[in-house]
Amino acid sequence: MSTTRHLVNRRRRLAAQPRPAPRGPAADRAEQGIQEAEEAREAEVQDAVPPRRAARPRPAGARPRARTGGKRIAASGAPPRDSAEGPAGSTARRLPAPLARLLRGTGAGHRLLLCCAVLTLVLGGFAGWAASEAGALRDASSARNTALADAARTSEVKGEVTSAVNALFSYDHATPGRTERAAKRLLTGRAVAQHRELLAPVRRQSGEQRIVLTTTVTDSAVTALEGDRARVLLFADQHSARTAGGKAGAKGAERKKGKKGKAEKDDGATYAGAMLAVNAVHQDGRWKIAAIDTLG
Amino acid sequence: MAPTAGKERARAVRFAAGGPVRAVAVVLTLAALCCAAWAGFTWYAAAHDDTLAYAATRDEVREAGEQAVQNLNTLDHRRLEADLDSWEDSTTGELRAQLKKGRKQFAQQIRAARTVSSARILSSAVAELDERAGRAGVLVAVRTTVEAPKEKPATKQTRMRAELTRTSHGWKLSALAQVPVGYTADTPDERD
Repeated sequence: MSTTRHLVNRRRRLAAQPRPAPRGPAADRAEQGIQEAEEAREAEVQDAVPPRRAARPRPAGARPRARTGGKRIAASGAPPRDSAEGPAGSTARRLPAPLARLLRGTGAGHRLLLCCAVLTLVLGGFAGWAASEAGALRDASSARNTALADAARTSEVKGEVTSAVNALFSYDHATPGRTERAAKRLLTGRAVAQHRELLAPVRRQSGEQRIVLTTTVTDSAVTALEGDRARVLLFADQHSARTAGGKAGAKGAERKKGKKGKAEKDDGATYAGAMLAVNAVHQDGRWKIAAIDTLG
Repeated sequence: MAPTAGKERARAVRFAAGGPVRAVAVVLTLAALCCAAWAGFTWYAAAHDDTLAYAATRDEVREAGEQAVQNLNTLDHRRLEADLDSWEDSTTGELRAQLKKGRKQFAQQIRAARTVSSARILSSAVAELDERAGRAGVLVAVRTTVEAPKEKPATKQTRMRAELTRTSHGWKLSALAQVPVGYTADTPDERD
């Protein structure tokens, strides 16, 4: 608080003005209006430099009563003294002068400013704290991941990825083009090469044998779903059959191709259980597979 | 004298009632009040957001499921009792009763075979979660390694379906099953 400046101003003004600060009830309202705010801020200055008194600080107990709306009753020559002074006054007496003046904070305006400052700090502090709490809640990794929480999108991802995997990992020697077309349509990025690599053994074999590989996803669940990206865990059964003309040793070759947990049912067919995690991205209105993780 | 007085007067006017300082103070306070109200509301909304709570539960379930499956695939004959205790700690209901019932016999078998089983979770995902019923289904891809004396360690990848139930001590495993291979060939898929 720039009390010193006000004090100086006040003194200068008092010196310059023919009319001193103290006014009777007849003092013109304009003057009052002008000085209202300043008086409020300078109340302690007035205390310290009473217009018609010697320039020694009055005892704290002798300060004028708080005014409302700047209407000053006490400032005239004979101010009614507030002899019964609150504890604040006695405290103020013992405090260092500037602080004491601040605490005494006479005047509604002064108090308003103080209240505003404190309120602004408290409210601002609360606002910052609450905003950061809310942000922490909404930015938590669990909150960003909308798997299951967004039921519609979760089932959309599950459905599209399931049918994509079924199509991508099924192969018929008679119509190899179907797998190719599915790959073009459903794969993007790294997954293109990964898929080619994964299906290479099947393609190679289909030269010698007539292979029909059928992949059926049995279980799927979305691990993570954030906006246009998702990660899906899938369990699939792979059934591969040689329709005709299987050579001796074909079983061994198939064994290499079958992924995990093979369970052979008969000579011509192999069942294999597969587990894979795929990353999917939402592109051009559909979920495409961007990466294939065989969890090897 | 007179010009100075005028200047002082003008200055006084500027600080007068409704003057800039007071106005700024009040405006700042009101702005702070608005910010506080908005932030408080946002915070309250986030704290009471069902979707966020559901997402948090989902992650909790997933973690509990992974840990439980890991526990139930870990068994070291050298610290059998501790491992079997953790089996019981991770489970509830029927599954726990089964484990308790077969514990003695099973412990004897493991002591005789002197095997060490360990597991690594490869991936997992919550397939379903009913928060009200306190039930959840989790898919877990796990790699298990069984080491027996004088044998090469056997590693295999296992696909598991775990069912979890909420208890007063958190989410516990109430069922655990390996996903069989090729069962779709025998039982027609209901999606068709």
